[in-house]
Amino acid sequence: MSSSEGFDEIEYRVGNFAPVLRTPLDSPYEISNELFAALRHVLHDVGGQPDLPQPYREKVEEEWEMNAYVTCECLGWRGVWNSEERRRAENDLGATLYFGLPYYARWATVAAKVLINTGQITPDELSAKIDEVRARLEKKSA
Amino acid sequence: MNRTFGIGDRVTVKNATSMFHTRTQAYTRGKTGVVVEFRPDWVIPEDEAWGRDTPERGGREEPFYVVRFKQKDLWPNYTGFDVDTLETEVAQRWLDPAKENAK
Amino acid sequence: MTRTHDHDHDAHAAIQSSSGVNEFEVLEQAVRELAIEKGLFSAEDHRRFSEWAESIGPSGGSKLVAKAWVDPEFNARLLADGTEACKEVGIDWLDPTGVGTPSDYTYFYVLENTPTVHNVIVCTLCSCYPRPVLGMSPDWYRTPHYRRRLVRWPREVLAEFGLHFGPDVEVRVHDSNQKSRFMVMPMRPDGTEGWTEEQLAAIVTRDTMIGVAQPKADWTATSSPSAG
Repeated sequence: MSSSEGFDEIEYRVGNFAPVLRTPLDSPYEISNELFAALRHVLHDVGGQPDLPQPYREKVEEEWEMNAYVTCECLGWRGVWNSEERRRAENDLGATLYFGLPYYARWATVAAKVLINTGQITPDELSAKIDEVRARLEKKSA
Repeated sequence: MNRTFGIGDRVTVKNATSMFHTRTQAYTRGKTGVVVEFRPDWVIPEDEAWGRDTPERGGREEPFYVVRFKQKDLWPNYTGFDVDTLETEVAQRWLDPAKENAK
Repeated sequence: MTRTHDHDHDAHAAIQSSSGVNEFEVLEQAVRELAIEKGLFSAEDHRRFSEWAESIGPSGGSKLVAKAWVDPEFNARLLADGTEACKEVGIDWLDPTGVGTPSDYTYFYVLENTPTVHNVIVCTLCSCYPRPVLGMSPDWYRTPHYRRRLVRWPREVLAEFGLHFGPDVEVRVHDSNQKSRFMVMPMRPDGTEGWTEEQLAAIVTRDTMIGVAQPKADWTATSSPSAG
């Protein structure tokens, strides 16, 4: 997380995922069986949902995207997980991240999570490594 | 496991409860199509997604089928033409024989 | 404004934070380094798989189609057993691990277009794609709007790509929702009589093998016909 932004700037963005102007349905709950079913819908099952045409854009994979893809495949290759576990993990991120993150960022995120979930690394190790890598890359780009 | 359906059989996709993960699409539930091809016996994704990806790990292998639907049977007010179709793959557990009065 | 296929091949600019470092890159690298440190896979594994990922591309699929167009017996073998037939053009679905890739599996099927059936592929649930024969998937193939719309409004989506079919052509959508991986074999266009396999492969573009384009005798993979 960047330290250059103030608390309010960051929290405004985060808080906006549950906007101030919203109709709270969860407490006391006013959720019908139909809405509950919709909330429980397996997220990746999007076939037939309405959407608008968008330009069909091309994008060459950036280095981090190829690396994220290869890392996930290597984790599968060496038995840490299988690709269906990866796909479920992406759904388990929830709608905001599932539809909000770039495709390969979902891959990188769930790869990090599976390492913690399966006890291969601790959360502290992940945080420390992120800080270390960031510092290294910042130095390189300075 | 024995294959219960043959090529040409009309089948209806079950609207079974599927918590947390499935690869049987909502748009196929309750819809009737025809088996056009066999696929191998595969571990079902509902087991694989939880790490039970081999029989030794508790993953259940089942025959899979390619089911072809008429698009006008899948979608209300389908905007294409009557000839249009959609094929997708379905595990045996998700299929019932089509009812006599199904389209 | 007409919706046409956007041939924008310029790389989308990477998002930079104020420090000039991309946080996605930070996360990716952190995960990779930890995985290697913990012995989950080796740096050599990552290098070998990366090499394979760099080596795959649509030319593999183009070779299959071109060979099938000139050789009816290969055509039959390709349609009967896609995975096996790939070996004849140097593609082994067991590469690079020896047992296949975790995401692509080893069940490859080729879908032959005919004058009365046009095939097109999507994976509504994620974005399953036949990487060994076509390389990495296009960005648009993975978007929610393609995944949502192609299965239900296929003729609209195809029209946005410039394809139109009359009511006598069955548009057959394949939602690759399990372990199978698909590629479309487009029909050989008129005007290609006597062409070599190399010449034919050059007009079989990636999009023709997904099913959102058709090969044209004056198209190649790198230049569109002169249309202004």
